[in-house]
Amino acid sequence: MRSEHIIHGRIDRAGLLISADAPLLRLQQRAGAGLGKPLALPHLARLVALAQRLQTDLSRPLHAADDHSDVHALVRIIPDSDGANVEISDWRTRPVAQPLMPALAATSVTPQSWTWECDQQLRMVALRAGAEAPPIPEEWEGQSLSELFELQPDEDGRFPVLRALARQIGFDGQRVRADGPAARVSMVVSGEALFDATARFTGFRGVAEPTDEPVEAHPPQVLVDPAFGSLPLSDPIFGRRIDGALRGPLSRIIATAETISGQFDGPIRADYARYAGDIAHAGRHLLGLVDDLADLQNIERPGFKAAQDEIDLGDLARRAVGLLGMKAEEKGIRIDAPRTDDQMPATGEFRRVLQVLLNLLGNAIRYSPENSMIWIRVDREGDRAMVTVADQGQGIDPEQQAVVFEKFERLGRTDSGGSGLGLYIARRLARAMDGDLTVDSAPGQGARFTLSLPARAI
Amino acid sequence: MAEFSSLPGIDLPSPTLSARLRELADYLAAPAAGRLTEEQRALSLGIAGRLITDVAARLDSAIDTGALWRDWLADGLPGPERFAAACFARAEEHRWREQSAQQNGPPEMLPREPAGASDEELTVREPLSAADQAYLTLQIADRRRFDALGHPALGIADLDPMIFRALLHDIAAWRLGQISQDHRRAAALGEAVRAALDRHADERGIDAAAKAYHDMLAECGALFDTAATAIARHDWPVLIALAAAALHRSYGDMTLALLTADTAALPSLFAPLRLDRIALAPLEASLAMLSARAVAGQGDGK
Repeated sequence: MRSEHIIHGRIDRAGLLISADAPLLRLQQRAGAGLGKPLALPHLARLVALAQRLQTDLSRPLHAADDHSDVHALVRIIPDSDGANVEISDWRTRPVAQPLMPALAATSVTPQSWTWECDQQLRMVALRAGAEAPPIPEEWEGQSLSELFELQPDEDGRFPVLRALARQIGFDGQRVRADGPAARVSMVVSGEALFDATARFTGFRGVAEPTDEPVEAHPPQVLVDPAFGSLPLSDPIFGRRIDGALRGPLSRIIATAETISGQFDGPIRADYARYAGDIAHAGRHLLGLVDDLADLQNIERPGFKAAQDEIDLGDLARRAVGLLGMKAEEKGIRIDAPRTDDQMPATGEFRRVLQVLLNLLGNAIRYSPENSMIWIRVDREGDRAMVTVADQGQGIDPEQQAVVFEKFERLGRTDSGGSGLGLYIARRLARAMDGDLTVDSAPGQGARFTLSLPARAI
Repeated sequence: MAEFSSLPGIDLPSPTLSARLRELADYLAAPAAGRLTEEQRALSLGIAGRLITDVAARLDSAIDTGALWRDWLADGLPGPERFAAACFARAEEHRWREQSAQQNGPPEMLPREPAGASDEELTVREPLSAADQAYLTLQIADRRRFDALGHPALGIADLDPMIFRALLHDIAAWRLGQISQDHRRAAALGEAVRAALDRHADERGIDAAAKAYHDMLAECGALFDTAATAIARHDWPVLIALAAAALHRSYGDMTLALLTADTAALPSLFAPLRLDRIALAPLEASLAMLSARAVAGQGDGK
């Protein structure tokens, strides 16, 4: 890399670097010093001392090395009675390409910033504070990025990080708030997408920079918890109670129980580990119930309306399979999904339709026998576009079909698999999108749930 | 190491001259051996500097780490042979991973944005399996081996206890020289050393994470596939971690063994992970592209 412009620096009489352009300052910082400190680049320091002693201008080649590159440049030192000016030109660094891993783009990192990295599920794997940055929260390891940072929507109501996640690209300008050990801080987060050698998206890595934006003493009302698919909470009091009183403690219970169950802090008795696993399982069930209740609160408010996106039911069905495919594999269940060229254009809210499909497919996996088969078909009848999820489970008799979409109806099941709200919410969502959700089944013959929506011409 | 203070004709050699003469003597002793490149020197020195800064900060946050590092740069690091191997292994690992990442980059064809995709696309919160949790813990342990700017470092939790103890004592001795008049602070320094040692004894670094992940994968029968996948993905920390745990070696030792191994030695090195030649091919290719490796039996390291 070659830079055409001149890089300036100023050394005082005592040999301290009192001002410097960014590249020179960065070298000085990487050598363990900074502004107001003695020049930490030995070669340059010797040249400055020589120029000051001789009281004459000096021009010499400069060689320096930091962690990632050798630097070659031409330096001119102009001494005066109070010190010396340094002008560096023809700045060349090797290697030519900036390293992609693991150093961050040096220009974006400041001593005031946090640097972070998360995996493809947005779980934090690294969080570090710069020398002058606010302290980082103590228990960040493995936390979701959206738990660590309270995401703030931009002017258009969008979340840059989630947009980037969907597209697997970098992002910037994501406004967040975060709880440090000392105080709550307002920050702007940016990140770059990471990929492995098989072009698989592996997460993000980036910087969180504090801003001057004032932060309320108490967390503002949280309306959206986007990373986990929780939905906007219409009632502020309800939403706050859910988030404050239930979600946080439950998350901690689950995390702690999983830590004990996983024996990450050392071996414990096997039955104790199992108990902890049971606690974590029950905690996750309760958390799912909290999500469902919050969802319910939202869709039952007057005037609830879903967006009318142009969607493809085939594409959404394949996405649902992608998200739950692992779960099916664990039970040896095969899913026969629509082929990639199987399109079924429809109108409905993208994430709501995906939510319904995930509910239907999740139920099918949960209640299907091992090594069975699940079919997902898309079809069109007149002006209705349909997607059907069919399984080989025990089926639902006509009496049960009449109540399966009722609130808290679990058809007599007592396991901790669901809240009994999923199908109720799914049908409410389908109807809010001018569609419907129906079931067709007979005992011993599996169940077929069909979501129908307004069809759309291609 | 030879001393040159009594060379005829040279009265009081400067540290620079002494260092040059030592370097020359080493060179003359083995002219065919490959030498450190400037990059390797800079990386290793940076890692050593960050290690000393981190240990000093842990000992006493009031220590002027800049002054400590400047003093030691001028006078030479005490007991460098103790941590040279650790710094070199970390530096070589970093060079390798950086080169590998440069070659990977983002895919040319990014996934297309779905029609009507919402910014708030739903993601599913699935509970982590024990193996996934162990992988996450390994990732976190690995990322702790970088500083805030993403430069390579040695995690204190990963340090050999003897090295950590010796380093603490050296730094405490330097600090004592500054505060010897202040008896209260001098006494507190001894207490700080003991506290740092106690804390270190309880810490679990990358070796513990590697063993936990290895054991979890072995238990669920996914060890060999995961190792092969790690190679295909160029997920080198996972490969090193699994191999280290399988061979009951430390992560640092395994790194050094891998990065100095001849190609022919790779199958036997990874025998416990049952990686055949085909699975090892991407690893061989990646190592072959790393210049100036200190390969056993190759003088120039190429």
